[in-house]
Order: sequence, then C-alpha cells, then structure tokens
Amino acid sequence: MAEIEKPQVNETSAKTEPAPKKIGVYLCRCGGNISDVVDLQSVAESLKGENVIVNIQDYLCSSAGQDKIKSDIEKGKIDRVVIGSCSPKLHLETFRGMVKKAGANPTLLEITNIREQASWVHDKEGKESVNSKVKGLIKGAVARMGSIEPLVPLEKKLVNRTLVVGGGIAGITTALEIADGHEVILIEKQPYIGGHMIGLSKTFPTMDCSQCILTPKMVAVHNHPGITMHTQTEVAQVKGSPGDYSITLKHSPRYVDIKKCISCGACTRKCPAGAIFLPFAQAVPQAYIIDMSKCSGCGACVKICPRDAVNLDAKEETSTISVGAVAIATGFEPIDPSFIEEYNYPAPNLLTAVEFEDMLSAKSKTGMRLQKADGSFPERVAFVLCAGSRDFTGKGRKHCSKVCCIYSQKQAQLVKKMKAEAQAWIFYIDMRSAGRRFEEFYHHTQEKGVNYVRGKVAEIIPKQDGTLMVQYEDTNLGRKGREIFDMVVLCPALIPSAGTKELADKLGVPLGDDGFIEEKHVKLDPVNTLNQAVFAAGCVLGPKDIHDSVTEGMSAAHKVSQFLGKGMILIPPEKPMILECNGCGDCVKACPYNALSLSGGKAVLSPLACTGCGICVPACPIKGIEIRNFTRSQLKAQLKAMLEDAPGVVVFIDPYAYAAADIAGVNRKQYSSLVRFISLPSIHVLDADVVNAAFEYGATGVMLIEGTTDEKLNSRSDDLYKKLKKETRKHKKPLRYSHIETAQYEKLTDLLNVFASQAGAKAEKRSRKEKGEETPEEKE
Amino acid sequence: MQKETIIPESKDIAFRDLIIKTPGGKNIPTCMQCGVCAGSCPVSHEMDYTPRQIVRMIQLGLKKEVLNSNTIWICTTCFSCSVRCPRGIYPTELMETLKPIAMKEGIKNRNTKFDKIFADVVKKNGRASEFLLISKYSISEPGMIKQVPFGLELMSKGKLPLSIDKMDDLRELDSIFGLGEKTGIQEKTQSKEKPPEIKENDSDSQEAEK
Ligand SMILES: Cc1cc2nc3c(=O)[nH]c(=O)nc-3n(C[C@H](O)[C@H](O)[C@H](O)COP(=O)(O)OP(=O)(O)OC[C@H]3O[C@@H](n4cnc5c(N)ncnc54)[C@H](O)[C@@H]3O)c2cc1C
Ligand code: SF4
Ligand code: SF4
Ligand code: SF4
Repeated sequence: MAEIEKPQVNETSAKTEPAPKKIGVYLCRCGGNISDVVDLQSVAESLKGENVIVNIQDYLCSSAGQDKIKSDIEKGKIDRVVIGSCSPKLHLETFRGMVKKAGANPTLLEITNIREQASWVHDKEGKESVNSKVKGLIKGAVARMGSIEPLVPLEKKLVNRTLVVGGGIAGITTALEIADGHEVILIEKQPYIGGHMIGLSKTFPTMDCSQCILTPKMVAVHNHPGITMHTQTEVAQVKGSPGDYSITLKHSPRYVDIKKCISCGACTRKCPAGAIFLPFAQAVPQAYIIDMSKCSGCGACVKICPRDAVNLDAKEETSTISVGAVAIATGFEPIDPSFIEEYNYPAPNLLTAVEFEDMLSAKSKTGMRLQKADGSFPERVAFVLCAGSRDFTGKGRKHCSKVCCIYSQKQAQLVKKMKAEAQAWIFYIDMRSAGRRFEEFYHHTQEKGVNYVRGKVAEIIPKQDGTLMVQYEDTNLGRKGREIFDMVVLCPALIPSAGTKELADKLGVPLGDDGFIEEKHVKLDPVNTLNQAVFAAGCVLGPKDIHDSVTEGMSAAHKVSQFLGKGMILIPPEKPMILECNGCGDCVKACPYNALSLSGGKAVLSPLACTGCGICVPACPIKGIEIRNFTRSQLKAQLKAMLEDAPGVVVFIDPYAYAAADIAGVNRKQYSSLVRFISLPSIHVLDADVVNAAFEYGATGVMLIEGTTDEKLNSRSDDLYKKLKKETRKHKKPLRYSHIETAQYEKLTDLLNVFASQAGAKAEKRSRKEKGEETPEEKE
Repeated sequence: MQKETIIPESKDIAFRDLIIKTPGGKNIPTCMQCGVCAGSCPVSHEMDYTPRQIVRMIQLGLKKEVLNSNTIWICTTCFSCSVRCPRGIYPTELMETLKPIAMKEGIKNRNTKFDKIFADVVKKNGRASEFLLISKYSISEPGMIKQVPFGLELMSKGKLPLSIDKMDDLRELDSIFGLGEKTGIQEKTQSKEKPPEIKENDSDSQEAEK
C-alpha cells in the first residue's frame, strides 16, 4: 500500500484530492462473451454527456488491455477507473495492482460486472433490454466513481504474545508449539494442568498409560522459558481489539505460594482437618493447596512450613495482560446425568465414565483399584452408552459424543484384565468405531469376552443391597431383558465446559447451536474462528479423542504463529466514520462486534474489531454515521444515474450472495434483465433514506439479498426488513428480503424472476390506474 | 410365527405416509431403533412385535403386519415409551392412531382376555379394583405367576389395596352395558363411518404428493 495509516478511522483516513476527477471507462468485449450480446459501441455513445473517456478492448485482462489503462494513468489522462467486464471476484485484484503500479490509488478502480450479470444471463432476452441495463449499470458506476474517496487499507501492529485458555492436552500442545517462536501465557481453571487426560487410566486404542505420556508434556510446559502458567485462573474481562487485547485475569487463592512450596508434606501431617494436600502425586505445578471448606484456620501449617509458603489470608487477585492472539482450549465436561430420571443417578455403584476413569488414573483416591462403594471388586459391570447423547427431545444433546463407544470398550477390557471371570456388558445403539485402529479395537474387545447388547438401556433401578437392575430391549432379538450388576457406568454426553459461552462472548466468537465454538469454515477453516485473532483447539470444538485434540492444538499453534508472524494486520478501509455524535450510545449498543465505545461522551470506533457490517449506520438517530465509500449520498448518486434512462428492479446484495449470482452467470441461468445489483459490504448499511431514493428514482421494486451466515447479522435481518418496509410503505412498491447462501444460485434466479415479474405487473397496474391500493409483497 | 420375506410389494407407502402425517407421526422416520421404548414398556413381552418393531414396520410401510399385530391392543397407554424416546416419537399415540385404522379394516382386537376381565370387574362392582383385576388375570394367564413376589411387595407397601370398592346402585350401569351389548355399538358404527381424522389426513397426504 502506498501509505501506512494509523488505525484511527473516526478521523479521516483518506486523502481528499482537490484536483478534478478524470474518469476512464474501459469496456471489455471478452472475445465476444460480452460483445455478442451487448452493443458496447452504443454503451460508449450513451456516456457522451458524461465527462469521461471511454475505451473498448478485446480482452482487458490481457497485458495489452492492462497496458492501455496503465499508460492512460501515467500520461495523466485519467486518475479513476471504471471497468465493464467479468466479475470483480476474478480480476479486481489484478487490475488494482496494475493501477497501484501506475501511481493511482487502487480503491479508485471498480468493476461493473457485465458478463456474469448481463451477457451470460440475459442472452435470451431482446438486445435492447440488455443494452439498456448495461448502460444503466455503467452510468451508475461512473456516478459512484465520481463520488467516492481514495482509501488506504488500515494496518495495525500486533502484540507478539498469545493467551492460551485451558490446560488440557489441547491447550498444552498449543502452548508448547507456539512457545518456541512467541511468548505464551497459559491459564487453567483447576489447581493443576492436564485436563481430563490426567484423569484417564489407559488410553485407547493403544492402551498406553495416560500419565506416562502426559506428565513429560506437563513438566515441559512448566519449565519452558517462553510459557507463563497460571492455575486457578480464568478470564475476567477482555478489552481492546484483535491483535491488541488487554485481558484481565482472575486468580483464585491457593493459600500456598507455588514458588516457595517444595512439596515436603510437613503441613499435611500437621493439619488436624485434612484441609491441606497435594492434588495428586504427579500434579503440575507441584504445590500444596488448601481446601478452605475444611480448614479451621488453626494455623498449624503456617507454623510448620519450613519455607513460609502458607498464607491463610490470601485473597482472590486480578492481573492484566496484553496479548495479540487467543487460543481457546477449554475442553469439555460430562453432562450431569441426573436429568435422566429413569437412570436414578447418582446412586451407590452407579457412576459416570469419568468417575470410573478417575479411579484408575493418576488422580485415583482408591490406590488405582476399581472398587464398589463397599471396597470390593465389582464382578459384573455394565456400560450404558449414549446417556444423554443423540437425543432430539431437548432433554439431552443431539450430537454423538464420539469417544464413548471406544472408551467404554477400553474400560470393559480393563475390567476383564483385572479379573478374567468378571463380566462386562456394553449396552449400545450403534457401535461407532470409525477411524484408524478402532474397528480392530472393537474386535479385540469382543475377543476378550465382553458382552455386547444392542439396545439403549431403558431403566436402572438401584437395589437396597447396592446392586443395580438394568432393564433394556435386546433389539437384535426383539426381547426385553433384565440384569443385575454390581456397578453401572454411564457414558454421558460430552458438552462444552461451563463458561465456554461467557468466554466466547467476551472474545466475540460465535457458538454453534450445540454450544461448541463455531469454526470459521466447518471444513476448510478449522481451528480458526470468525474473529481473526482467536483460535480454538480440542474438545471445545466438539468431542474428540486425544489424537485429534493434539492435531488441532498443533494446527491452532501454526495459525497463531502465522498470524503473529506478520507483525501487523491489514484491514479493509470501508469502515464507519462518525461525522456527528450526541453521545447517545445507540450505535455502541447496536454493534454486534463491540467495535464501538463511548469515550469522552462521543462514540469511538475500534477499527480492528469492526467488520464494516454497517449496523451502526441506521442505528444512529441523528444519521451521524456513514460507511466510507458506501455513504447515503454515494449510494443515492449511483442509484440515480443507474435508473435515469430506464426503470429496473434494484437488488442490494452482499458479497456472499453476490458469489451466488456469479455462479448463476457461469451456469447461464437466465433471469430478468430488469434486475440491477448494487453490491454492498452488508445489507445492514441500508436505511429507509436509500431505499426511498431508489423508489423515487424509478425502481419498480427493491430486494435485499443477504448471503452471510453470520448469526449476528442474520438475526437482525428480519427487524431491518420490517423497519424498511414500514418506512418505505408510502411508495406502494414491493420490497423483499431473502437469504441466499452462495450455493443456492438456482433459488436466487427463481426468486429474481418471480420478483421482477411481480414488480413489473405492479408497475403496470399502477400506471393504468391512477392509484394502486395493493399492499406490497410479503416477505418470503 | 411365520415371517414373510420383505419384498417391494410388502410395502404400502401410502399407509406409511398416512401414519407419518398424523399428529405425533412426524418423527417416525427419525427412529434409530434404540429400543428404549420396548425396554421401558411394561407389557412389551406380551406383544408379538415390540413398540420399536412397530415403528420400524411403519417406516417400511408393512401395513398388514402392523395392523394385525396384538401390540396395538396390548398397549396400556402408560406413556413410558413416549417420555423416554430420544427422538421425540410417541409410540403411545401411534398405537391410538393404529387402533381405529385396524378396526376400519375389519381387524378385531385380538387381546380380549384382559379387556374382558376388566369389563367383568367393572360390571360387577361399578368400579375397577386393581386387586381383583390382577388376581383374575393372573389365574387366566400362567405367565403372571412370576409377578407374585412383586405383587406381594406392592401389597406390603399398601400400593395394591385389597379392599373392593363397590357402587351403591348398579342398575344404571347395567342398562348401559345392556345397551352396548344389544347394539354392538362399537363395531357397527366404527365400520360404517371412517374415523374422521384419517379422512382429513388422507387428503393431506395426497396434497403433499401433488
Ligand atoms: C471417560 C473418557 C475416557 C476417554 N478415554 C480416552 C482414551 O482412552 N483415548 C483418547 O484418545 N481419548 C480419550 N478420551 C477423550 C479425551 O479425554 C479428550 O480427547 C481430551 O481430554 C481433550 O482434551 P482438551 O484439552 O480438548 O479438553 P480437556 O481435557 O477438557 O481440557 C480442558 C481444560 O481447560 C480447563 N478449562 C475449562 N474451562 C476453562 C476456563 N474457562 N478457563 C480456564 N481453564 C478452563 C479445564 O479445567 C481443563 O483442564 C476420553 C474421554 C472421556 C470422557
Ligand atoms: S460415541 Fe457411541 S456412545 Fe457416545 S454418543 Fe456416540 S453413539 Fe452414543
Ligand atoms: S425409543 Fe424412539 S428412537 Fe428408540 S426405538 Fe423406540 S421409537 Fe425408535
Ligand atoms: S404406552 Fe404402550 S407401547 Fe408405550 S410403553 Fe406404555 S404400554 Fe408400551
């Protein structure tokens, strides 16, 4: 870019050019693709009245075509460019790069799409109507080019430090992988790191011991010079914007100074209440902790500690850190199965799979022995799968928790290994063992003599003697069955850990309707979120095993390093400018991305958080906000010129839906040539001012077509539509909103056809009668 | 019981669609055959097809088997299946839907034993007595012997009162029963008129196909 701007968008980021605007219009024949349908000569002639130079080329994208534009700029003949050619999605960047080389501002080149939006989709219509459309589009583009200002992309320096939230295997991996290149702060809610994995026994599918493979990693985190670790810590507040966050952390008291404690255990031996302990032998950090609900405050530990590490008066503390990026790795938690009334959880010897694992893990309180409430070994153990998963009634969760099918078999194997005569039953609906080595694991478990029953358990009745009656249908036989077990293990639905939503909200990251963090693109952009500075890994993106959590941790680390490695971010300059402000704060409330705030009684934009959605524009009661280069007057100028010679249907379209129109073009899907698209960063920049102007200048109908799947925008579209409808009612012309995702191009063209003919019929009626009394069309 | 091979001709798609269109039938295609319904059903062992199997047969359109099953008559409408089904299917309502269709097709209730005993008890006393009902049914149904310990447990907890409540004046009730027996009211009217909700749904399904 030509200049580097300070990221302050509410002041002008533009250099207004005093010199008169010299616009060049370049039309492309596209080797007949355009010129066979559109009479470009007549289009050029129609521009005679405008103060522009016009040129027609065979292939504008060829070096000959580009050179023509370049030399016109260099000779000083023009300084702004309107191109009539194929879709801007194809060559806009190329043309803008050329313009920049020639010494002009790249934003002063725009493309009018007369191929995908005209010659390819109206070639079955009369030439006259296509010509008339193209003339309108180009005139609109010229008017727009005369009204816009040159802008420079914004740049922001990044803080070279990352916050990793959650110290499970995903967070540990992310932190270790980033830390060699960039500073990391790792925070963990619990008094120790390791997450669920440190509470596992063996790990499927290879059955290696969990603590054996995890402990070295935990120690590496602790010792890494690039990682600062805080346990018992959560995010309290997030300020700032992507690339430059100021985050307040909340630290709960441990009452023992981690740095001083040498784990000698003198305190534990002296404590009369059993309140001070080491969480477990391998815990990282290695430091004791006091359970204040047990502590009597006698101070015995304080006196005995040789290192003076105990402080009974410790309080919750906060600290503030500055980071450029955040990686969320807050993992999962098991759903509380007590909502499943027929399972009667909790009851003696009725546990969750997590409790079962705990008993056989580093955290074990039974000396790694599997035992019933009375201390004896359970001879008959049942595993109940899908406890709360795959439930579409609203009581449980819809999703499959993915790992239970495999870990329950692991647990069943462990039972058999501890005692060959013991019985292990697995009650399942579908045995899901997709993935490398998993079917083999299933087969192996069968060989071990584990009994599989295909049927979801219907009831679990705890008996007085501590056994449990399990009732089910063996669906393979179509027969009801009842069995008595010594222990029943529920495999609960795995859900995002408590607080995921609050954290995601603070960071401006959306969740899916299952509560897990939404990835930027489900398939092609995993571990990225819709916030460019926030990444995620592990079970916070959905249940998965250790292998996949680690893979995502590595991916997230790579993405973080790539992001921070650039040192700065470039952001599109089409942002709101606050021209007038009475400090009412309506825009601050309206902005879905927390990009506006009040400072000194005035609204201030944080341009890096702003997505340019434009919701603030209609929100401002005094019309004090405009989006650069999409201001009300710029849009009106374009509309006026576009509709001057012939009426049409105006379709405001966002970039995602624009892509659908392009696909319709490539597929030659015909639609009415009355349709004239106006491309907007988002339909939310519109207010009644602009739509009314469209009607006044001769639009027979107006459509808003939105393609974004961003819930924050979609959820407001209905209100926008209703408001616009009310405020443009006086024109008695149809207004319609529709949501079209990129792939739905056929729906788009169908819709355009129906709407254009409706609008046309209405216009005809109106001109026949003096007054039309019909109400406008209903929203689709 | 002999079971036929399922071939394309076994399937009555119109029947399937009709059932899916009834209130509560919407989720039938989403049944995952988990068997919670049948595992919960207090009488599924008496049924020739469990509730789960009925749902499956409807997915396929096995009209003949479904309507001839004793399942739909044995169902006690206890709703255990419906409150537990993870897919929001209501087998209880389904049974209620199927009964009038079976009647319309001239299929009679094959599970008359329990109903007869029930009707007899009510006729004699004017009120239902759980104790009488269970003991009479147990005598006629050898399989019930297994339930004796459970019955005793219930009794010991006062959940199965031995007292037999009787109506003071049985004459009005008698005349109602008499009327019913004389006219055979149920079967005749049912076979003449189609159950209204089916007519309605019928046209619905046709519309949807158009
Ligand atoms: C019973 C059971 C058995 C399993 N067995 C196996 C197996 O044998 N093999 C296998 O491959 N996988 C197994 N898994 C899956 C495995 O546990 C997970 O893949 C893995 O633990 C996921 O790691 P994670 O870091 O994403 O999440 P977690 O382990 O849940 O870690 C998340 C961490 O973030 C912390 N945290 C949460 N919220 C916050 C917050 N707001 N602020 C700060 N910190 C926070 C938590 O305290 C936790 O330490 C099993 C799962 C279960 C339930
Ligand atoms: S993984 Fe298996 S047990 Fe777990 S929810 Fe999915 S199907 Fe049910
Ligand atoms: S409980 Fe529901 S999902 Fe499961 S088999 Fe029965 S009807 Fe199907
Ligand atoms: S409602 Fe009917 S089918 Fe369902 S559990 Fe009760 S008796 Fe069985």
